[in-house]
Formats: sequence, C-alpha cells, structure tokens
Amino acid sequence: MSDRAKAEQRLGWKLAMPAFIVMVAVTGYPILQAIWNSFFSYRLTDPDNREFTGLSNYIVSLTDPVFWTSMKMTVLVTVFTVAVELVFGFIIALVMHRIVIPRRTLRTLVLIPYSIITVVSAFTWFFAFSVDTGFVNRWLEWLPFIEQDYNWFGGFWSSFFVISLSEIWKTTPFMSLLLLAGLAQVDGSMEEAAKVDGASWWQVLVKVILPNMKAAVMVALLFRTLDAFRIFDNIFIMTGGANDTTSLSVLIYRQTIDRTEIGLGSALSVILFLCVLGIAALFVKGFKVDLAQGRN
Amino acid sequence: MTGRRGRRTATLAAVVTGAGLVLAACGGSADTSDDSSTLTWYINPDAGGADPNGGGQAQLARECSEASGGAYEIRVELLPNSATDQRQQLLRRLAANDKGVDLMSMDPVFVAEFAEAGFLDEVPSELTEEFTADAVSAAVESAGWKGQLYASPLWANTQLLWYRKSVAQEAGLDMSRPVTWDQLIDAAAKVDTDIGVQASLYEGYTVWINAMIEGAGGQIVQNPGADAADLTFGLESPEGKEAAAVIESFVDQNVGGPALGSTDETTTLDGFRLETSSFMVNWIYVYSSLKDADPAVFDDLGWARYPRTVEGEESKPPLGGIEMGVNQASENKDASWEAVQCLTSQESQKAYMLGSGNPAARKAVYDDPEVREQFPMADLIRESLDAGAPRPLTQYYGDVSSGIQREYSPPGSVDPDTTPQRTTRLLQDVLNGDALL
Amino acid sequence: MAQNAKGTGLWSLLAVPIMLWTIVPLLFMVALSLKSADTLADPDQNILGNFWPKDPTWENYELIFTGGASDLFTPALRNSLIVCLLSTLISVVLAMFCAYAISRLEFKGKRLILTTALAVSFFPVVAMVTPLFDVWRQIGLFDTIPGLIIPYLALTLPLSIWTMSAFFQQIPWEMEQAAQVDGASSWQAFRKVIVPLAAPGVFTTAIITFFTAWNDFVFAISLTSDRARTVPAALAFFTGASQFEQPTGAIMAAAVVVTIPVVILVLFFQRRIVAGLTSGAVKG
Repeated sequence: MSDRAKAEQRLGWKLAMPAFIVMVAVTGYPILQAIWNSFFSYRLTDPDNREFTGLSNYIVSLTDPVFWTSMKMTVLVTVFTVAVELVFGFIIALVMHRIVIPRRTLRTLVLIPYSIITVVSAFTWFFAFSVDTGFVNRWLEWLPFIEQDYNWFGGFWSSFFVISLSEIWKTTPFMSLLLLAGLAQVDGSMEEAAKVDGASWWQVLVKVILPNMKAAVMVALLFRTLDAFRIFDNIFIMTGGANDTTSLSVLIYRQTIDRTEIGLGSALSVILFLCVLGIAALFVKGFKVDLAQGRN
Repeated sequence: MTGRRGRRTATLAAVVTGAGLVLAACGGSADTSDDSSTLTWYINPDAGGADPNGGGQAQLARECSEASGGAYEIRVELLPNSATDQRQQLLRRLAANDKGVDLMSMDPVFVAEFAEAGFLDEVPSELTEEFTADAVSAAVESAGWKGQLYASPLWANTQLLWYRKSVAQEAGLDMSRPVTWDQLIDAAAKVDTDIGVQASLYEGYTVWINAMIEGAGGQIVQNPGADAADLTFGLESPEGKEAAAVIESFVDQNVGGPALGSTDETTTLDGFRLETSSFMVNWIYVYSSLKDADPAVFDDLGWARYPRTVEGEESKPPLGGIEMGVNQASENKDASWEAVQCLTSQESQKAYMLGSGNPAARKAVYDDPEVREQFPMADLIRESLDAGAPRPLTQYYGDVSSGIQREYSPPGSVDPDTTPQRTTRLLQDVLNGDALL
Repeated sequence: MAQNAKGTGLWSLLAVPIMLWTIVPLLFMVALSLKSADTLADPDQNILGNFWPKDPTWENYELIFTGGASDLFTPALRNSLIVCLLSTLISVVLAMFCAYAISRLEFKGKRLILTTALAVSFFPVVAMVTPLFDVWRQIGLFDTIPGLIIPYLALTLPLSIWTMSAFFQQIPWEMEQAAQVDGASSWQAFRKVIVPLAAPGVFTTAIITFFTAWNDFVFAISLTSDRARTVPAALAFFTGASQFEQPTGAIMAAAVVVTIPVVILVLFFQRRIVAGLTSGAVKG
C-alpha cells in the first residue's frame, strides 16, 4: 500500500470514527445488556430475587400462546399494511410521476402524513372512528353493517382495520416516494418503443416498467416491512393491545415497563430483534437487494 | 496533505467538544435546583385538576403551604388519568431514586408493591396513631405492608347500589332491606331493565369480582405478603365460584346491557342517566354528577348498600381512594410527613370531601353538619367504608389483577366450573415466570 | 400528443381522491381542536355528520397555552424542540464527517460502517428501552434532556449517515481539486466550493433527521417522566381539565400545534425532502 493510500485510510477512519463509535456505543450497550438480562429471572421491584435461569425465559416466551397471538397480530399487520401500501403507493407514485398540473401541491400534500407524528395520526384516526367523537360511522351509515353506534374498537378485526388504516395513511407517502425514485430511473424510450410495438398500457407496466424498477420496489418493501414489524405507537394509543391486538413491541413494553419483568421482556426483545434480522437477511440474500449499491 | 488533514481533525475535535459542552450544559440546566423547603406532590387528577382553587388536592396543597408559615411550600404535579398509567409513572420515578418526588397520591393497591420494593418511607412512629386512629379500617389495612405503616389515607372511596325508586317499586324490591345480586338480577329481568356494573377489561372489573368474592366470605389472595411461589388463591373456593356464578347469570338473564364487556364507570353512569339501566353499582361521585345534570333522574334516585353475594352474609363494598406516601429518596422527609399531617387532617379531609365530592377516610368527618347536608347518604358511606374490603394485598397486585381481568373477559365466557380454575393456574404460572401477561 | 394530454388529464383526475384521502384526517384534526368539550359528541352541534363544529372555539388552544393543560404542554413543546434540535445537530455534524469519508476517500471498513448503520436502524427501539432505563436511573440521566438525546442518536445517526453519503456521492468533487489547482488554499477551497455544494444535502438530511426525532414515542414515554417529557409522550398522558373531562379537544389542539412546524418545513422544502428520501435509499 502506498503512503498516500495509507494516509487516506487513516484520514477516512479518523473522520468516520466519531460517528461510528457513538452509533455503536448508544446501541451496542443496550443490545448486549438486553441479551445478558434475558438469561435472568429479574423483576425491577423485586431485585433481591434475581437469579440466573438460563434459557428459561426464551422457552417460556416461545411456548406461551400470548406470544403467538401477538406474533400473529404483528405478521398480519405487516403483511396487510405493506401489501396495501405497495399497491397504493405505486398508484400515488404513478400519479405523481405523470401529472403536470397540481404536481407541486400533490407532492406537498402527500408529504404531510409522512412528516406527522405517528401518535398524532393514531389519535386522529382513533377519534374519527370512536362512537362518540367520530364521524366515520355517520359517513358510512349507508353501509349495511355499520350503525351509528358501531364500536370499531370492540373486536379484533375492526380494531385491526383502524390500526392498519392509520399506519397506512402515515407511511404510504414514504413508500410512494421511494417508488417514484424508481419510476424516474425507468428509461422513457423503452416505454415508447413498447407502445410503438402495440403493447397495451398494462403490458408496458408489467413488461417494461416493473422489471426496471425492481430494485426500488425491493428496497421500499424491505424498509417498510421492518418498520411495520416493529409497530407500537398506533396500537398503544388506540387499543393498548386489547382484543388480541397486542403486537410484539407492545408485548415487550408490557413485560418490561408495565410489569417490570426485565428478564422475560429482554428475552422477547432478543426474539424480536432476531425476527427483524431474519427478515432483513431474507430480503438481502433471498431477493438480492443490494443496499450498499454504488457506495464502494 | 498533512496540513489539510490536521486542520480537519482540529475542526472535528472542536465540533465534538462543542457538542459535548452543549450536552453538559443541558445536563446542568435540567436538574431543577431543589429548594429545601419546596415539596413536590404527585397527585392523581381529581375534580379540581391543577387549579389551586378548584376544591381538589391542588387547593389542599396551597392551603397547607400557607398554614405551614413558610416551613414548606407544596408544588403539585399531575399524574395521568388512569390508575395503570399513574402506577407506571410513579414506579419509574421511584425506581430511579428520583429526589424530585417528595409526596405522592397512591391508589391503595400500589402500596404493597412500592413498599416491598423499598420505595416508600415508613410512617414515623409518632404519627401512626394520628393517621390511623379515626380512619376506616380497610383504608388503614391498605396503607400498611408486613406490619409496617407506609401511608396515610387521604380519602376513601366506596361503591353504593344506586337505583331508580320507581323501578325498584315496580319490580317489587324492598330496598330498605339488604338485597342480593340474585334478587337484583331477577328483579331487573322481570321489569326488563339493566344493572350497571363495570366489566370491561380494566381495573374496575377486578374491583367488582373482588367485592363479590369478599362478600361471599372468600379472598382472592389467601396469604397476603407471601412470595410469588407460595401465594395461594381463593378463586376456586366455593366463594370464588359464587362470584363467577353471579357474572354468569348476568349474561344468562341479559341484564348487563348489550355491551356488558365494555362497561366502565362512565358508561354505567351514562346508561343510568339515559334510563337504559335502573340499578347500578358505582362510586360516590355519581351523586353530584346526577345532581348537577339530570333533575328528573335525580328526583327518582335512591341508594342502598352494595348488594350481597349470598343470602345472610354481609356485603363487603369495594374500597378505593387515595393513600399518601413519602418517597424514601426524598431529601425532605421530615417536612413531607409534616405536610402529610396537614393534608390528611380531619379538616383537610372535610374540605376535600366538600370540594371534590370524594369521601373522607376519617369517620368523624361524617358527623359534620355541612357534610351531612351535601351528602344525605353520609351514614351509609361511612358504614360501607367500615365494612369494605380492600383488593388483594400483595406486591404482585398488578399481575394478579391483569390475570383475572384477562381470564374473566369477556363476561360471556365466564363459567363457574372452569374460569376460576383456569385463572388460578394462569396466576401461578405468571408469578413463577412461566407465562406472559 | 393528443393521447398524451388525455392521459395527463386522467392522471390529474386520479390526484383528487389521493388528495382527499390525505387531507380529510388533517381537517378532522383541526375540526376536533376547535370543538368545545360538550360539542365533541353531539351531532346537533356539528355539521357534515359530526365533522365540523357549528361554533368553532379557541378554548382548547387557550387550555394548552395558558389554561389547565399548559403545565403539561408548554414544557413538553420546549423539551421536544431542544431534544430534537440538539440530537439533529449532533448527528448531522458527526454524520457529515463520516459521510464525507465514505463518499470521498478510499479506506477499508466503509462497508462495515454502512452495514452497521443499517443494522442499528433495524434494531427495535422498544428493546433498547429497558437496559437504558436501568442505567439511566442509576447514573441520574432518567428524565433529563441528555438522557433523551443520547438514545435519539441511535435513531438519527444511521439515517443521517446514509442520507448524507448518498448526497455527497452526487457532488462533483472535481471542482474542489480544480479550485486548489487554481491556487486557492484548502480552507478557501473548502469554504468557497465544498460548503455550497454540500450544504443542500446537509440541510435536507437535517430536516429528515429532525422528523425522525420529532416522531419518537417509545423512548419518550419510557425514559422521561415530566421534566424532560416530549410532545408525543405528553399527548398520551394528557389529562382533561378535571378527572371527568375527556382531554380530546386539548390533545387535538396540541396535535395541531406540533404539526404546524413540520407542515411549514414540508411546504418550503418539499423538493429537497423528496430528493433526500429517495436518494438516501435507492441511489443506483
């Protein structure tokens, strides 16, 4: 290695080091501590009875129906919201890509939900669907199953629907912007060529546009999936986890902060982290999403 | 090359140091300087909120500060609305050894957990007599833990059976004599009206279940103070089954209203107001609420002691209210106990009862003419409080209550033969760390 | 050409439902904040099916700024601003050097840094809370501003590093060299050439980072109590004017207030934010 290269190497690390160290320190410590705690039976309000229990917390968690109910909720929310957002986000991206007239207005409007605090979105949708303060029941009264006093938060599926709606409203803009960037990379001349060859609108979409923006779609899916899998705010505000709407994050919060069962909660945290890593690995290895593309 | 690099490194160092300084400066400013005579009191929201003239705890704080002649100044901080959130906020502060908490208003069920964890200062022995002599026994019982007193009752809540006189008459119920849940259910079914109870998945449901089990002569936790592994439960006892049977007949006879599984204090009161129900068990505040809002309903309003679970056994009405404790990490413990002395004095309790509508924990207050005028059922409140039973005294109360709520919800699923047994098993597993909640 | 125009018209038409879907909840937020406590649930006092109040009132705003809820809201607003601005500042400054190195210099470990940043951003926030709480309570950082800024760096740093390296990669750095060849000192080159080139990227990154910190809920409800509580947490623990009053109107008034700054940022910097979001994630 030449002196120049060595110097550059050193300078590179010097500049990158502070950020790297801070980043590792603020997350590395809690991660390691959580792993450590997960091997103990440890209650904050009962510290004297702290004892090493090995993998017991993991076994308890993985064999408890409560864990699987929340896993079901988490997976359902993730699959449902991400699927809807993909379709919806793509439509919005197409509209933003094609239109000329209210282009700026549309982009600005779409960005607002993205920038709004999730808790605010959760409260707004919660109040909108509530029997007393809401308007949704009154607007939808013409539907056969909706009455003025229909309680959306009384059962699993209706609660699930409203929670997902808030999540979708808030995060679709992010999805659609990523897809918009992908659309911009599709070579317009290829579209034209396909049209000249007599391809229908749908054929152009499926044969030309989508294959050319596969990378963008995958990245968008990855980011949103990981995000949705950690859903917390919307559920915490709307149902607090009632009617089986407890997600994994809410379950962890309940064990650690509410019950102060730090050992069990930490085991659940580690499980959640492993799930997230698994999903990321699946995307990166399985779908060949190269996130560090063009960064070398 | 070196020069450039050197400069960059220098700039970097400067920026990082700057950021550090900013952080440090913040750390300094965030520590509120604690004036030794300023006491911070964490209060639960009551009718007065944070208003120093609202008739609530904030007003007591102002008055006692003034009366102390400068010995201390009480500042109030509002806790969130629900008891669950209140516990969490306090718990986190206490666990953090936060010196910024001096006094706190606690739901009676918090005391055991906080005391066991060593978060509470013991009541100085010279004040024990003063705090407990005249207070209703259930409130005193809740203020102690393992033979030690940790709090002073500020007020004590209880539930009465509120009813529409005309409907009770129509149903042929003699309300001058104690009624049982079964009699009430039959009567309500006969005249096609509802009975308001609290059976949503929340603390209020535990309150109801506990009161019924206690009323039958049983107890949810049979050995208060025991460690997790040794705790025994009375849900499966004949008394526990009696209580489950009442819930079952509520559902069978359909007297709990269409949404029995989502009823709380507010919805129960609303139902009574809108005349869908003609009976309800609810706390004392509903009296002033009905008095202010609905003259028609109010004229027909009657009250009686909490219903009996079984014929011939005195009912044990639920106990609520607030216990006042002092943080062990407080740097002003002496002043704090002095303040508690003033805040929970007979005079303060009377003022609080009149101002907020929350019943006093001291029995003498009920002989006061002003109180008797504002609360025509003063004697019944005192009697109910005296006969009342606290919720289980255990350091694991939160888990016990959540477990019961979970297994007994929705009310339609309650079966006296299986639910108590299932719940007991769940509670044992949860406390042994073998199940999630 | 004609076909194209027709196509555009059709797309514009599609924009209408999208805009409605976006704006109705926003309008409802404002509507709720303008309702007094007793008109909230009363359809007779509202129009459009319990949507908009017949008699809009400012009382909720008075409540949160000067009334009973001001003790809860105004400190929270101040805390939110301090915590978010400081953590944005710190992470943008740190990330700036890091991103410069990544995009400009050849050194081993680049990939390691980017991958670590990504892994960190995947870590579930709720899992960090308990260990942090346990340490914070022992070293006295619980419920303090630094006690919130430090974990916020875990949220903001990875994002800043990624977004900014993407930006820096697009900068034509040859100009820096050109300037130096022209005889400008390194400092002059830095100031006259690099700063103007990099500023938009840094600024955009700062906005996006700020949004992320502004949005946090889990750290805020777990690591603070009342002295350092930020707005999202305060909203969740709002109490009404008294025990029996629902805080709905006050919550929504506060929600509107904290939404205004982000809406302003979006209005002014829409193009930048779009560029930042898209280039951060998918720069091919």
